Amino acid sequence: MKLEVKNLTVKYKNKTAVKGVSFGAASKEIIGLIGADGAGKSSLLHAIAGVLKFEGEILFDRYRYTSPKEAEPIKADLALMPQGLGLVLYDDLSVKEHLQFFRRIRNIPEDPEYEERLLKMAGLYRFQNRLAKNLSGGMKQKLSLICTLLHRPKLLILDEPTTGVDPLSRRELWEILEETRKSRNIIILYSTAYMQEAKKMDKILLFDSGEIIASGKENELLQLAKPYTYQQTECEECFCFDGRCYSIKPLDAARTEPSLEALFFINALKKGEREKPINIIPKQNEMPKIIVKSVGLTKRFGDFVADDHIDLELKRGEILGLLGANGAGKTTFIKMLLGLYPIDEGELWLLGKRIKSYQDRIELKNRIGYMSQNFALYKDMTVKENMEYFANLHSLSKKDATRKIEELSNGLGFREYLDSFPQSLPMGINQRFSLATAILHEPAVLFLDEPTSGVDTVARAGFWKLLHNLKKRWNISILITTHYMSEAEYCDRVVVLKEGKKIVDETPERLHQKFPGLDFEEIFINFYRSENASGSN
Amino acid sequence: MRLGVIKAYMAKEFTDLKRSKMIFLVYLLPVMILILFGYGIRLEVKEARTTIIDMDSSKLSRELCDSFIHSKYFEAKIKNIDYREALEEIKRAKTDIVIIVPPSFERDIAKGLKGEIGVFIDASFPLRGQVMQSYVEGVAFDLAKKLSPQKRPTIMVNQRLLFNQSLRDENAILPGLIALALLVAPAILAALLIVKEKEKGTIFNFYSSPVTKYEFLTAKLTPAFLLHSINIFIAFLIATYIFEVPFRGSFLLFLIASELYVATAVGIGLLVSIVTKTQIAATVLSMLITIIPSFLYSGMLMPISAMEGGSFIEAHLFPVMYYSHILYDTFLIGEGLGSSKNIIYLVALAAYALILMIAGSYLLKKEL
Repeated sequence: MKLEVKNLTVKYKNKTAVKGVSFGAASKEIIGLIGADGAGKSSLLHAIAGVLKFEGEILFDRYRYTSPKEAEPIKADLALMPQGLGLVLYDDLSVKEHLQFFRRIRNIPEDPEYEERLLKMAGLYRFQNRLAKNLSGGMKQKLSLICTLLHRPKLLILDEPTTGVDPLSRRELWEILEETRKSRNIIILYSTAYMQEAKKMDKILLFDSGEIIASGKENELLQLAKPYTYQQTECEECFCFDGRCYSIKPLDAARTEPSLEALFFINALKKGEREKPINIIPKQNEMPKIIVKSVGLTKRFGDFVADDHIDLELKRGEILGLLGANGAGKTTFIKMLLGLYPIDEGELWLLGKRIKSYQDRIELKNRIGYMSQNFALYKDMTVKENMEYFANLHSLSKKDATRKIEELSNGLGFREYLDSFPQSLPMGINQRFSLATAILHEPAVLFLDEPTSGVDTVARAGFWKLLHNLKKRWNISILITTHYMSEAEYCDRVVVLKEGKKIVDETPERLHQKFPGLDFEEIFINFYRSENASGSN
Repeated sequence: MRLGVIKAYMAKEFTDLKRSKMIFLVYLLPVMILILFGYGIRLEVKEARTTIIDMDSSKLSRELCDSFIHSKYFEAKIKNIDYREALEEIKRAKTDIVIIVPPSFERDIAKGLKGEIGVFIDASFPLRGQVMQSYVEGVAFDLAKKLSPQKRPTIMVNQRLLFNQSLRDENAILPGLIALALLVAPAILAALLIVKEKEKGTIFNFYSSPVTKYEFLTAKLTPAFLLHSINIFIAFLIATYIFEVPFRGSFLLFLIASELYVATAVGIGLLVSIVTKTQIAATVLSMLITIIPSFLYSGMLMPISAMEGGSFIEAHLFPVMYYSHILYDTFLIGEGLGSSKNIIYLVALAAYALILMIAGSYLLKKEL
């Protein structure tokens, strides 16, 4: 059994999402597609699954198809799990009813033994009567996965099944896949935004702008990157991040072991992209020592406790990472700090002031910067108009606004895009200009809600550098949420939330000392485990 | 078509409707339309405030005044004021009608001349104005008829009384409202059942599995059709019991026509679901393309036969007209299956249902 994709192209009305991609896969292989949002992974997977029109041809198990219609006969052997938490689940059906539904629409005989095994593998055996809407994100993904495995597909297509899922559930998902692969003939296509998952793949396809920029096993890819990877040094025409520098031209520095990210930097260099220089003008700000302090902060939605007695402190000039899976309570917490949600219980101090009512917040508004999830910008206004609008909101004078826009667009490197519309911009530029909009009024503290989610490696690295620069020059404090556990590395301190509860509050250095040789993914799994053991579950 | 697959999908649909409480919408919407509009729309005028200035004070003029005073349609008062003051009353909306009987009224009639009276009517709402005008004319004609019985009564007055002798608004409006309710509600439900899956993403279960288009459509549209078939009976009961509209025709004809009509509405919903991606867009679009034609072409506000040119052709393009013709026939007239027009219209409804379903299943694609 083989899968062969030949010269596959997917075109939408005004853009080409996948540009002539070819690859092959053999039975029992897990093929990993790694790349940022918009790189073309989903389009490619949808085309292979026969739910999207494409050019080129696909051969699966000696059957050839060139359109969704022709793909119809293989759908009995195929399973697709599209991107999005619990996307294919019905809110008002229970776990058991889902299995029943999928079994029946697949027209396969009931196999109680197999279903029980799947349920047990997914840890859902005890929750068979729970409605899908009451499952956690991780449970939803595990249920979606076993529903797609029900008809024993030969081709399993998983589109970012682990994005936003907690590390423990992520590991369990992988265990299900390994188990499945061992027992049966199956080809698994697996896309992800987490580089750490590359280890588990038999072959990796690195995606950028609709093309495969490199493919092979992890160590083969690392070999490819090796000649371009140096230790941290001063250099031009290169990218430096996380203690490594990447350059096509030889550098006068010792070489070092690359990570997979390296290939994205090298690809960017090959395309002629250069690191956008950051030039932030220093500012002096008078600030209290503790910027944010919460004691027992709690938010409930009906019976559901979104944030359960959270104690947290953000000190002056600190970058505090608020980590957790989707639904862990990160956004709710930030919204409570901002006053977008009323606080149900607990005490809150902002910039040294106890917040009791709306009145208390008004005078602080101009000292707080906020960047919401998915960058809340007006898509019908140009970058400049957007910035002017936000300057107006903070009642900056016209002169000041123009000066600040000039300064920030230069400093953050998006000056040439001032007259473009946000949607036409690369995600990294959008991210920078959203940040610029949030700091126009020179706030003392910055709340960033998942600014790096789905953004490509190069832009993400640039963004973190930018935040550190901003912190250094303005002595600003930053609270940033993310579901990438590996980003803990770039924070001064990390707080991990799990289902509304704080399970970690520590500096990265200390965590490394405590768990030598482990990456953050593995470190946090320990906390999730011990929390589970001591918790009510 | 595999029955097991369809049954599984349909069972899921019913569970979902029940647990998401959407089932209430299925029955609440048509009932609300019938009750609210049934009580809300009033074309007849009762107790129009009337000021009479009788300058003649003769036996005949008093007889005229009395017939206004005793009519349930008027709340008439004889006032001894100047006509300018009376007009001022209309202006300030203190009265709806001013009737002036000139001093020479009885004398002129006795002489064999025409007896003239002056009538002023508040026509700020044209329809209401017209109705009041016809009532005033009716009273005057009655009197004229009494005076000279050999003359033929005017046709105009009787025309309004045909099929709806009691001049009841309910009779005129309820059948039209049924046509509205049974088009809007099934269309919305059918559209939502499909678009909900698109919006949530569960549509992938259909796209990526061997379930065929026809199985999917059967499973989606049958619940909408069945649930709304019950509404046919509910609508019938509301009209006949709550609003006491008579039912004179064939119930079989009513039932067949209604089922075909609901199927047509479901077909409209299907087409809406193909062009929309979100539930809110689907709801708004279904409402837009069903409510406006239903109001205009159900014959509720204006008989189709009175339409001309463009609006006449348009009326024939929408299925509403055919169904409401049958409704008015079965409720008020009672010609039943014997009328060839009814049969033709029944065929037209069947054609609509069929064409919409075929178009919908052709346009539905099993891909993004």
